[in-house]
Amino acid sequence: MSAGIVILYGMAGTLMALALARRDGTFQKGLRRALEQFLILAPRMFCALIAAGFIAKLIPSEFIARYLGSEAGMTAVLIASATGIAVPAGPAIAFSIGAVFAHAGASVPALIAFITSWSIFAAHRIFIYEIPLLGLSFLRLRLVSVGATPILAGLIGIMVGWFFTLPLGAVP
Amino acid sequence: MAMATDMTMSTNEPTITEPKEQPWLRALLRRSFGRSFWGFVLFAIVSAAACYVIIGGQAFNEAVENDISMVLKTIPRIIAAMLVAGMIWVMLPRDRLTKMIGSESGMKGLVIAALAGIVTPGGPSAAFSLLAVLGGAGADRGAMVAYITSWSMLGFQRIIVWDVPMMGAEFSLTRFLVSLPLPIIAGMIARALPMRMVLADPIPIKGDKP
Repeated sequence: MSAGIVILYGMAGTLMALALARRDGTFQKGLRRALEQFLILAPRMFCALIAAGFIAKLIPSEFIARYLGSEAGMTAVLIASATGIAVPAGPAIAFSIGAVFAHAGASVPALIAFITSWSIFAAHRIFIYEIPLLGLSFLRLRLVSVGATPILAGLIGIMVGWFFTLPLGAVP
Repeated sequence: MAMATDMTMSTNEPTITEPKEQPWLRALLRRSFGRSFWGFVLFAIVSAAACYVIIGGQAFNEAVENDISMVLKTIPRIIAAMLVAGMIWVMLPRDRLTKMIGSESGMKGLVIAALAGIVTPGGPSAAFSLLAVLGGAGADRGAMVAYITSWSMLGFQRIIVWDVPMMGAEFSLTRFLVSLPLPIIAGMIARALPMRMVLADPIPIKGDKP
């Protein structure tokens, strides 16, 4: 958590020092660019974060977990993929839902599909960062390109399971 | 994205700021509180109402508490990420990068982009601002999709910090190996798709276009 922010500020500090060392206005231009991006992003981010917190509360994770067992095979992968899309929150919430699923007996391919789906469709990131920074046409292109990825990941997981015993996703 | 001249800002102190700074700042503010911003406000209100109606007041209060701490945690990250992205934006050697992951870069470009996604540290604030920088610098759409897909699915920092502690190292490794080819496949699909893609660029700096 705090390691991430230390790295981020370390990077920011280093880059700002490098820009300053050029002494040709690079630093000022960069600062201006940063301010522009921040002003576009911050108001949207604020609303999206608030919305994400409420929606995360609405997901019935224990109920869903019952449908993710290994005997459900591909169906479990599909349900898990759909659930992953519906988690509009950061890794803390997503991975704790994943752990709930694992404890409730979800299959490894289903868990792979869930985490993959959350990681590429996480709605909070789309609203907070992707739309403001890259725009809707990039979002559309990306969603079509990765649409099948979670199912594919789960499918590969199922096929790997034919040859190897998959490790359990549960943690004490 | 179309968010042109909606939302008239209440600018009742036009004489105070320097004449040169004013149009830039005003255009910027108009854009940051433009139509799409109000869409976000509506989205937040609707989800709050749904939460209150469906699961009741207590859970609603918990969500509000979570929200506040999340906002406070995120703001410093955003500031740092924007500084990183801004500085990289002005210092990046565009032509060299375009050669590496531009539209002529082929399979090699996709692999480089996917590897870059795995090693990019930090959260979405850093990754998406870098993606915007790469796009502005002329990275091709396949490389952009491969980069962000790889960062999302396989980003090393998230795996170490979250995946391994919460799901177990064996599961994380399995997931990592199973998913390894997928960002590159996604990039190939993005290249092949006949879709128009125009990047949003928040008010480009004059004379700084690639």
